[in-house]
Amino acid sequence: MPKKKLPAVITTFCLCFVFWVLLTWSFTAQELIAGAVVSLAVALFTYDFFIHEDALWLLKPQKLGALFAYIGIFLTELVKANVDVAKRCFGGCKDINPGIVKVPVNLKGDYAQAMLADSITLTPGTITMDIAEQEGQTYYYIHWIDVAETDREKAGERIKGRLEKGIRRIWQ
Amino acid sequence: MRILIDILMVAGFVFALAGTKGIIQMPDPFCRMQASTCITTLGALGVLLAGALYAFFVMGSVNTGVKILVIGLLILTINPVGAHAIAKGAYRSGIRPDKEMEIDDYGRDFHD
Repeated sequence: MPKKKLPAVITTFCLCFVFWVLLTWSFTAQELIAGAVVSLAVALFTYDFFIHEDALWLLKPQKLGALFAYIGIFLTELVKANVDVAKRCFGGCKDINPGIVKVPVNLKGDYAQAMLADSITLTPGTITMDIAEQEGQTYYYIHWIDVAETDREKAGERIKGRLEKGIRRIWQ
Repeated sequence: MRILIDILMVAGFVFALAGTKGIIQMPDPFCRMQASTCITTLGALGVLLAGALYAFFVMGSVNTGVKILVIGLLILTINPVGAHAIAKGAYRSGIRPDKEMEIDDYGRDFHD
């Protein structure tokens, strides 16, 4: 096995094994050994699809701290946006002004971009529809239920400003 | 602890109700999807968190609580992927909003 593939296999194995333990929740030796064997087989076949970048990034303490900080930021944004959309729904669904905005994103790496797109989609009021790359700059097409800002830079700042900063701290 | 569980449960119900009302009343498919994210995030997560706390502290069953938390984690990771694909597929297959949108960069860049 080549040297740099070993961390990827180990990470995939750990994730599979943690899920096995969480789902079975029995700590007899028999169950654990069966889980380890199955996890190892799955990891050997799928590490290639699963890990594209540095596999052991989570072990650096400041990255882990940034991840927890991001979870906090994300939850506050989530609650704010949820209350906003719920108000619109209870107000008879008249108070909407939908539009699709093209927003520039300054993040490097597949994981960071996917994480930001998923976070935007999970926040009620905004859905990422597509990701495009033009001349080295990444753009998201975001469906926004209440277009408050038609300028693309400022709209991006309002939709994802805090999320993007948090994610940049995790991945870079 | 029971009070916290009840508050989370009721908050989840309220957001799920708001999302359901939005799905029925919103004018076009994209806005309906926006309302549906209300259900999957705070609606489902509130109820799941309440269930997990109930399992941990009232039932005393770590097993059940952990499984509920795993369900919540899976919802958080898998749901946006589906929502993103549905929105893109709907737009590409020719579904357009009822009224004219304020700004439509996607329609400008991808003509059908």
